Amino acid sequence: MEYLLMYSQGTDPQPWDPAGQSIGEWVAETIENRTNEYGERLRPAEDTTLVRVRDGKVLLTEGPFTESKEWAGGFDIISCADLDEAIEIASKHPATRMGTTEVRPFMVWPDADPDSFVVPLGFAERPVKGKRYLMLVCVDPSGEKGVEDEVDPWVERWDTAGVRLFGEVLRPPADGTFVRTRQGKVLVTDGPYSEAKEWIAGLDVIEVSDFDQAVEVAAGHPMARSGLIALVPAWPFDVDGDHAAREQREASEWGRRTEPAVGATP
Amino acid sequence: MGSSHRARRGGDALTSDRTEQAAGLDPAVSAAVREAYESEWASVVATLIRVTGDWDVAEEAAAGAFERALVTWPRDGVPRTPGAWLTTTARNLALDRLRRRGVEATKLKEWTVMDDRHGPGDPAQQVLADPDWDDRLRLIFTCAHPALSLEARVALTLRTVGGLTTPEVARAFLVSESTLAQRIVRAKAKIAHAAIPYIVPSPDALPERLDGVLAVLYLIHTEGYTASSGPDLQRLDLAVEAIRLTRLLYGLLPGPEPAALLALMLFQHARSATRVDALGDLVPLEDQDRSGWNAAEIAEGLHLLAAWPATARTPYRVQAEIQAVHVRAGRAADTDWWAILARYAELPESPVVQLNQAIARGMADEPAAGLVALERLEASGRLAGYHLLPAAQADLSRRAGHVDRAAEFYRVAIELAPTEPERRYLVRRLEGLPSPLISEID
Repeated sequence: MEYLLMYSQGTDPQPWDPAGQSIGEWVAETIENRTNEYGERLRPAEDTTLVRVRDGKVLLTEGPFTESKEWAGGFDIISCADLDEAIEIASKHPATRMGTTEVRPFMVWPDADPDSFVVPLGFAERPVKGKRYLMLVCVDPSGEKGVEDEVDPWVERWDTAGVRLFGEVLRPPADGTFVRTRQGKVLVTDGPYSEAKEWIAGLDVIEVSDFDQAVEVAAGHPMARSGLIALVPAWPFDVDGDHAAREQREASEWGRRTEPAVGATP
Repeated sequence: MGSSHRARRGGDALTSDRTEQAAGLDPAVSAAVREAYESEWASVVATLIRVTGDWDVAEEAAAGAFERALVTWPRDGVPRTPGAWLTTTARNLALDRLRRRGVEATKLKEWTVMDDRHGPGDPAQQVLADPDWDDRLRLIFTCAHPALSLEARVALTLRTVGGLTTPEVARAFLVSESTLAQRIVRAKAKIAHAAIPYIVPSPDALPERLDGVLAVLYLIHTEGYTASSGPDLQRLDLAVEAIRLTRLLYGLLPGPEPAALLALMLFQHARSATRVDALGDLVPLEDQDRSGWNAAEIAEGLHLLAAWPATARTPYRVQAEIQAVHVRAGRAADTDWWAILARYAELPESPVVQLNQAIARGMADEPAAGLVALERLEASGRLAGYHLLPAAQADLSRRAGHVDRAAEFYRVAIELAPTEPERRYLVRRLEGLPSPLISEID
């Protein structure tokens, strides 16, 4: 089984808790035991851009799409035997001690090759050649009806161009599980689901030369018409660095847009 | 949903559709089928789920096996080991079903191998038995997995472990059958799609997960002991089912926590016949006919408490001990309220615990002492809208001789009472208040 771990603040955010594994230790351990396929820290919600295509026009909005402050600060894609193991892995991540981690299974296709993974093998060794974005492919009731949802031409085009690194469909939110670690206890719940009408149905990771290309890629996805694409810039950092010092250093970054203004069209 | 047959010690509303089917059979055979349903259903389903990995196939096949028993047992006699007969029959039915559905030959072959490994010969010996854990424990823990909603856990536990039909569970929780069916379908889908494992948790995770199982069982019991809505105060069928399931859990995983919960349930259930009068009205503890309490259940509960060290002060243990103080008292006046008060102090703080603590203080000490504590609780606003707070204030005011204040509190409590018997009880109390003394009317 493969799961997406999405780290967000949740409803009862806690201060940084130095007890337990650091991010560096967690990453090292999960790479060592081969459960960790890939992960990124993500830019703050203000730096997210929602891409919708309506009536042939590309519409850009500043994210996040929900009214709540819920936004993933990072994610990891893991591979393990079952949900209990996924919960255990998630429970040790420092973000789970500070916030809430959603554990969402990826779709298992009936005809899937059992040896293939969401993240291609050897991906970690691939040098970073451009800017990486997480494309969250979302269901949005405001989307156009009857859109041809054949995604293969899009996948093929951007795979060939070396832009789309990988991607996969997720199981719906109802199959997700929420994990928090508080005072060493692992708290598991089936919710709360976000009240938002939009929900994440899948993801792709792309590597582009600049923001404009990211928008071009996102806008070409059939779900940009029938739903929406949230374009979230990766925010690389040194996983072994001191968390408190990093937070202080980056304090001014939070809540400040670094991408083109709202409404810009490529 | 296949039909099936079970005996039920409490309530009869849930049983009619089952037992009618057995009518016309040799009473001895139909009793054997019912008994087998009660004792073997969970086992058969639990094993079939492990072997097939498919909850629906397992349940259908288990129900099918009981249907077949109704046909073959009268003809061929009741098998020597009904459980093994039922598991084998269900296994074969499940195989047929999967074959018809076109499950690949490799998977079916795995089964045959599994079957062979246990050796040929008497299938009654050990049909697909798991050497490590009783399959029923896997089933109990999976049904109570915290990744499922609490409602889904309760429904799934009653349906799959308890063997109640979907309409029965729906009736028990006063929701529509389609709502309940949907809840169960969703839960099974999540078990499959999120890959919730069919295991007994590892020793590290076991204590916490066991708490989760006990919470589900206690919730079923509580709903039976004091229904949260509806015309009746108690739904004994649910309370009985909770006790049956907890007894099953305790048998599979003996330990102080399940023992304490089982004792607590038994003490509460032992009084059920005297908690309601002939008209269905609530009878308070102090007015209950103690000779009507179930002595066997009380003895079993006391034995369970004695069997495990009292050192682990878990909430169920402490609550069971509080109940034990009540059931040990020959008359209401003999109740050791100071012992009860001391035990409430051990429970994790919550508004409801504070309420009970204040009542115990009022009973142990002077009513006025309890009233002061209740007033503080009222001022905190933490129990706003909860009828038992003004009801307690009314009762202690009555005991203190403040008739006017008692009447006032009763009227508030009556407005808030969630069930008809509780409301009627409070009205009776209000009407039974002594006429106020002249000096108090002003």
